[in-house]
Amino acid sequence: MISFQQVGKTYPDGTVAVAATDLTADSGRITVLVGPSGSGKTTLLRMVNRMIDPTSGSILIDGVDVKSKPAPELRRGIGYVIQNAGLFPHRTVLANIMTVPRLLGWSKERAREKSMELLLTVGLEAEHAQRYPYQLSGGQQQRVGVARALVADPPVLLMDEPFSAVDPVVRKDLQTELLRLQSELEKTILFVTHDIDEAILLGDKVAVLNTGGVLEQFDSPSELLAKPKNEFVEGFLGVDRGVRRLSFFSSGAVPLRPEPVVAIDTPAQEVLARRSAQPWLLVVDTERKPVGWLLADHVPADGDLGKVAAGDLVSYGHTFTVEAESLRAALDSAVLSPSSRAVGVDAHGAVVGVASVEELVPAIRAAQDGSSPESSR
Amino acid sequence: MNLFPHIPSYLGTYGSLIQQQLTMALSSVLFGLIVAVPLALLCVRYPRIYPPVVATLTVIYSLPSIALFVLLVPSTGLTQTTVIIPLAFYSLAALVPNIVDGVRGIPEDVRLAAVAMGYTGARRLVSVDLPLAVPPIMAGLRVATVGNISMVSVGTVIGVGAFGALFTAAAQLNRSDLAVTGIICIVALALICDLLLVITQRLLTPWNQRRSR
Repeated sequence: MISFQQVGKTYPDGTVAVAATDLTADSGRITVLVGPSGSGKTTLLRMVNRMIDPTSGSILIDGVDVKSKPAPELRRGIGYVIQNAGLFPHRTVLANIMTVPRLLGWSKERAREKSMELLLTVGLEAEHAQRYPYQLSGGQQQRVGVARALVADPPVLLMDEPFSAVDPVVRKDLQTELLRLQSELEKTILFVTHDIDEAILLGDKVAVLNTGGVLEQFDSPSELLAKPKNEFVEGFLGVDRGVRRLSFFSSGAVPLRPEPVVAIDTPAQEVLARRSAQPWLLVVDTERKPVGWLLADHVPADGDLGKVAAGDLVSYGHTFTVEAESLRAALDSAVLSPSSRAVGVDAHGAVVGVASVEELVPAIRAAQDGSSPESSR
Repeated sequence: MNLFPHIPSYLGTYGSLIQQQLTMALSSVLFGLIVAVPLALLCVRYPRIYPPVVATLTVIYSLPSIALFVLLVPSTGLTQTTVIIPLAFYSLAALVPNIVDGVRGIPEDVRLAAVAMGYTGARRLVSVDLPLAVPPIMAGLRVATVGNISMVSVGTVIGVGAFGALFTAAAQLNRSDLAVTGIICIVALALICDLLLVITQRLLTPWNQRRSR
């Protein structure tokens, strides 16, 4: 646990970087500091490993003041991941990861063994070990940065805009990877970003900071989206916070109807009966995998689905996995579908049923009215 | 014309001249480097002293070497040392700014990462700052080495000019072929030393992407 107690930073010229701030980052959780530039988020982060010293207040890690030991010693016990990875260009990937163990005085063998292990943990291959940083992509470099920060198994990890400089696709990968790692390692992570979407995706709790280092709100992402405390936070969250908040609720509550779903080998009588009751039919194959939407009018008069013209089958767009994916994914599936119906599938991709936009509304309403989501992410 | 004519025996042999030329040129660069590294690090640590240091080095560089040799003769005599000392000072003018630029040019995120990993100042200098400054330091060494190999020949005015002696002899004996030979030998030595330094740098910096492409 990292506690900031009345921590402030005022520069000699009177500029306030951080106004007296109280904040607690819980053990084993990701706490995100988010705000515009000049909001003191990086300053707060760097105070933890004493790269910047506060002018007032104190910072405790698990009850121990960070000032109680020499700064270099403190830093060796705290993982640090920086934007652009900041790898040492003159060292191989493996030697980069070995940095902190060597500083801690581990033997070369032990340092190498543990570093090799971390290399694989962050999703790189053994063959990357002897490469130099310039031979890696930006995303791979940042993975090495994460391995280097984690190798000595520090309880606390500081991450300073680690994914800001990589392209969106790679960023998504790295974010997913971080969540996977965190579910295994349960580090106390303090994460700085200016990207509110990243904050909401990664944070167990999010601290929204305003210019001049003022803490405006400190809450779980879902609380933040549901109840922004003031205009600044609301503005910072952006226009679609209602829709985004749906990603914290499971799609399990969506009422899925199996009636509009017809298999390619459904008897003609049955198809004709369904057609009269449904404006759209979802055609699935013999394994119940979706094939396409069919407008009721385009069902052949004899009900033989084998005779459907290829052009009459409309792409089913996106599907969503029931339970595993969120209400937001279900809504997205409905919005993207030409039939305005969401297609719910099970873990194997077999169709469970469909729900129209209108049928999603009660589940969405319940989520917005309920005080807290049933799933944390 | 014979490019490598017989040299009058009082001047020495090709072998002895090469040895003299390299001894004076390389030891002056080495002494220069030994002074330049701490001086440059001081300039990085205390940026305010850097402009006066550079100005002083420039003034020294502008002093004619003949004048310095003559001034030193009373204390160090007609020896190689008298040639080495001024050349060592000259090499500072090439080395110090390159080392300063090299250490200052280390990317900010690398420097921050080194601090955050828990490096102490001295260890960071040895393990991170100086290794990363190797390419610019080597560039400075190449300039200083080539320059000093050429300038050693001026030592002939006090009788220790190595291949420079060939120029004096060429004038005295009216043998221009000796002068041509002197020039060829000095240029060849300079090029060979430069090449060796380039190879050394490649071996020292396998991580430098600019050369690996």
